[in-house]
Amino acid sequence: MKQGLLLVLSLIALTSMCDTISQLFLKSTIDSLNFTATHNIIKIFKFIFKLISKPRLWVGFSFSLVSLCVWLVVLSKTDLNFAFSADSMHYIFIALASRFVLKEKMGSRRWLGTGLIVVGIVFVSLS
Amino acid sequence: MFKKKVTFKILLLLIASDILETAVHFFFKKSTFGSSQGQVTDLASMSDFLRVTFSSPFLWAGLLTVAAVFIIWSMILSKIDLSVAVPIASFSYILIPLVSIILLHEQISTLRWVGVFFVLSGVILVSLSSKERTELS
Repeated sequence: MKQGLLLVLSLIALTSMCDTISQLFLKSTIDSLNFTATHNIIKIFKFIFKLISKPRLWVGFSFSLVSLCVWLVVLSKTDLNFAFSADSMHYIFIALASRFVLKEKMGSRRWLGTGLIVVGIVFVSLS
Repeated sequence: MFKKKVTFKILLLLIASDILETAVHFFFKKSTFGSSQGQVTDLASMSDFLRVTFSSPFLWAGLLTVAAVFIIWSMILSKIDLSVAVPIASFSYILIPLVSIILLHEQISTLRWVGVFFVLSGVILVSLSSKERTELS
């Protein structure tokens, strides 16, 4: 069981990392499009089509696909609650990637909030 | 430049994306029920597992929902920072236990609910961090 747990945790780390990378690609592609908020549904779909025509996005999607396959294996080995709670490392990856790759300005409140979320999720996984 | 403030509209989009995201995980979990659970040990059993899983209608319902989530998520990311959007979207940690109880009949302990409370506080702080930045700039 202990060995199985370690395997599940490494698989979850892998799926988290792949997902973070795909989010980075998605966010940077969206930023490059300079889309402004609108209620016009046609404009929204135009934006989506423009978005999915960018090759950079598909690099991100391929990471999503790997992430999905690994995630399905994880779900077959453990229950939904545990799988989701151990996924907390995802928030650390996202925060670090946003700060250092996307150069987003992270204030102290944002770090603290992200930390609280991670602690909360660790609590959930301990139970 | 992009607006960094988390408005009520973006919050609604985040809630919609979270509910759909929860549906996605529910569908995916359901799709793995058909295969021999926990038997993925090598590459052969892995491909066997994926074949059974991908033939489940639940997986395809899940993938369809993924497309809807993608559209909503893209609209969210066009307005706010990734480091704000992702933590706020974590309130699916409140939705997931509810779905697990009601539809999958899994057990939730008190400690898990304490964790859920921490997550909620974190989500509120991150939302406030975004507003704080806008006021300063």
